[in-house]
Amino acid sequence: MIKKRNWWSVLLIVSLLGILFTGCSTNNTANNAPAESTAPTESAVPEATEAVADGPVDGGTLVMSTFSDVVNINPLLVNDTASGDIAQFVFASLFDLDREGNVTAQPWSLAAELPVISTDGLTYTVKLKETIKWSDGQPITADDVVYTVETAKNPETGSPLTSAFDKVKTVEKIDDRTVKFTMTQVYAPFLYALCQAIVPAHVLKDVKPTELQTNAFGTDPAKTVTSGPWKWTSWKQGDSHTLDADPNYWGEVKPHISQLVYKIYADQNTEVQALLKGDTDQTSAIPVTQVEAVKANDTISVIQKPGAQYEYVMFNFDSSNFKDDYGLFDGQKTRQAIAHALNRQGMVDNILKGVGALMNAPFLPDTWADPGDAAVNYDYNPETAKQLLADDGWVAGSDGILAKDGHRFSFELQYNAGNSRREQVAAVIQQNLKEVGIEVTPKAIDFAAWIDQNVTPGKFQALLLAWSLNNPDPDGESIFSSKYFPPAGQNSGWYKNEKLDQLWVDGYSTVDQAKRKEIYKEVGKEISTDLPYVFLYQYGQAIGTGPRVHWAEEDAPEPSLGYGQYFHAIKWWVTD
Amino acid sequence: MTEYLIRRVLQSVLVIFLITVLTFLLIHAAPGGPTQVMLSPGLSPEIFKQQAKNLGLDQPIPVQYVRWIGDMVQGDLGYTFKNHLAVSGLLWPRIGNTFILMGAAWLVSLLIAIPWGIYNSTKVYGLSDQTASFISYLGFALPTFWFGILLQQWFSLKLNWFPLSDMYSRGHEGDIGDLFMHLVLPVTVLSLGFLASYMKYARASMLEVLDQDYIRTARAKGVKERKVVFHHALRNALIPIITILGLDLPILVAGAALTENVFNWPGMGRWFVEMASAREYSVLMAVTIVTAVMVVIGNLLADILYAVVDPRVKLGKQGGGTA
Repeated sequence: MIKKRNWWSVLLIVSLLGILFTGCSTNNTANNAPAESTAPTESAVPEATEAVADGPVDGGTLVMSTFSDVVNINPLLVNDTASGDIAQFVFASLFDLDREGNVTAQPWSLAAELPVISTDGLTYTVKLKETIKWSDGQPITADDVVYTVETAKNPETGSPLTSAFDKVKTVEKIDDRTVKFTMTQVYAPFLYALCQAIVPAHVLKDVKPTELQTNAFGTDPAKTVTSGPWKWTSWKQGDSHTLDADPNYWGEVKPHISQLVYKIYADQNTEVQALLKGDTDQTSAIPVTQVEAVKANDTISVIQKPGAQYEYVMFNFDSSNFKDDYGLFDGQKTRQAIAHALNRQGMVDNILKGVGALMNAPFLPDTWADPGDAAVNYDYNPETAKQLLADDGWVAGSDGILAKDGHRFSFELQYNAGNSRREQVAAVIQQNLKEVGIEVTPKAIDFAAWIDQNVTPGKFQALLLAWSLNNPDPDGESIFSSKYFPPAGQNSGWYKNEKLDQLWVDGYSTVDQAKRKEIYKEVGKEISTDLPYVFLYQYGQAIGTGPRVHWAEEDAPEPSLGYGQYFHAIKWWVTD
Repeated sequence: MTEYLIRRVLQSVLVIFLITVLTFLLIHAAPGGPTQVMLSPGLSPEIFKQQAKNLGLDQPIPVQYVRWIGDMVQGDLGYTFKNHLAVSGLLWPRIGNTFILMGAAWLVSLLIAIPWGIYNSTKVYGLSDQTASFISYLGFALPTFWFGILLQQWFSLKLNWFPLSDMYSRGHEGDIGDLFMHLVLPVTVLSLGFLASYMKYARASMLEVLDQDYIRTARAKGVKERKVVFHHALRNALIPIITILGLDLPILVAGAALTENVFNWPGMGRWFVEMASAREYSVLMAVTIVTAVMVVIGNLLADILYAVVDPRVKLGKQGGGTA
């Protein structure tokens, strides 16, 4: 069976009757590159949260809100936002990211220094700090690292991390403080996989891998031995989590805030009301429709910056999904015409209220792999679109809809029900394409059913979805390469492009960043010309923070990183 | 009477058993499963398969059902798939929370609706009756979530009289006074909805009885109007009202998803919707059973109450007309 190199994960926001559930994945990994990451859109850190003259004070409670409850905080199994949120407060990672997304050894990281990579790029040697220990007082050693990686690699565990470590041939303990990873091949993105929380071998080593999911470690606070600045004190299901500063925390930098409360609300609207009322101090997902209302309250500071996620329209290249087995999207010019016909800037301005940036390739704007002008930009131009469609042989029929060889250009665009943003975007797409003679039927489907029946088996005509890049590495082989066709792989649209297949392999087979940058520039050019997707935009949700919370400017939340809303929370403080 | 009760209970057990079979089949027929919601779709399908296997979801549906019903008869409601938490530990607190909210709203609405409806039946189209009609229309027409948000805006965010949401303020768990303050707004929303229908039923039912021959006879005999209404009419008018109340009993535990959402009430309605989209089969089954039991109990209670208010009804006899 092919293993996936998957550190991308999908951010699919689902809701039913206004109840939202985010499925998104975990690892806080990083951007290796020293990219001058200027915020693509407005980033306001109002005075309320800048360093106050008094400086940090210890103690107090910070109440954060969310709209979905934890599944399991065992770092081997974390795969949803809420679990990831709690896990990153209570578990220390080998390495952590800095604001630019570089892998670093911070005072709160388990590693003492950056990994030593051999000149052939095949071995990584990691040195642990001397002082690190678990919340039960046991030292954290190389055994824990070896156990974590081996268990993650074991297919019986069913760990979402399996693919992150599948290029690791062996992981060896050199001594209590030193671990050596030997790779099966040169694989540049591996560095980010090392930004990984470790689990305690002394607690879990006798648990069968198949039984980790039903083990109390990760779901029962009393049985979850942790390693971070806060420990997991209690979980009231569906209501809240309480995290208290761990008095035995090993780090030299201690948290100022003595208690974190992670409060669960029914949906984002209720969350916003609670923030306005002062029941909570921070929410990381203000719906676009409410941003203005929150900003009008001058005690609340709002950070608006797109996150590490982008939305796209995916075409299906398997003609069996179409009437008479006639693939409507087979023509490259047809796909380019669709890209020209969509008013992407209009979507960003009107639906995202400006919190978004256009994209032409699967690389986030302003990161090191962003191909910039090398990628083809499709401006909104219905006339060009019509011309391209005519060039490709489409002729308007009697009902005004284009047709070719007797096949009407009419397709179904699927998205998940309850996501109001996608609902609006789908309506704009329908309108935009109608103007050039293409009939679109938007169809909202219940999330679980959709993934099971359409996305995973690759049975749809076109769909509207997003990828969340919780790892800033630009590799996209597992979603664009023909090695990953459904149902075993994630290339749900059956896209095949031999040149790109090779470029993705070249891209991760060198650790030389300058070379990689050139390769991804070439990828950007090819993919934006051939268009397996129409790349729409990078988007994000505003973070709102109440007047009790303070941070120094260098410790402010960083939406472009995974879990970046809590960036450097160890250095924040609260006042009453 | 005893024989009747035993027969009814046995019938109910059979009905509930059939409900579980049907529900189990239906919820498993819905496409997608717990892992599709737990895990990111971007992950390798191998991981989905392995996790489903680790959780026992790879077994055939009949096997899963037998396993479930086996645990069920021993009083074990099973575990959630996504995090292996005991369903019973999650279910009972939520039933309690919902019962407090719905019970309060029900009581408030009954205490207002029944007397007011009766009074209005004696003064049809009077000012009181017109006002009641207006309130009923409002109660039917106002979307509960919208009305709830409106109340929050006025009475919590602007005037700061009542808390915005939740059951208790942080640090005040178990404090009755705090609970009362948290109940005011959601109970207002919910009771307006109940009020509307109960008032209409009470009024209509009274009017129907007051129109009957024996009432006319009583009046002709010179019985005081007060006695006519309360002694002769009310008892008969109560029968249809009891039927409605019996049928509505399950909402006391089933909750009201939208209102619970708006007020972030940790109740059953909201939970059931969340669990349905998460495909948490054991939770859905547990809620279904509890609701089914409440339906059965509600009907049974209504039947017994008929016999209490109406001497013509004899339970257990052929032609009793109620079983």
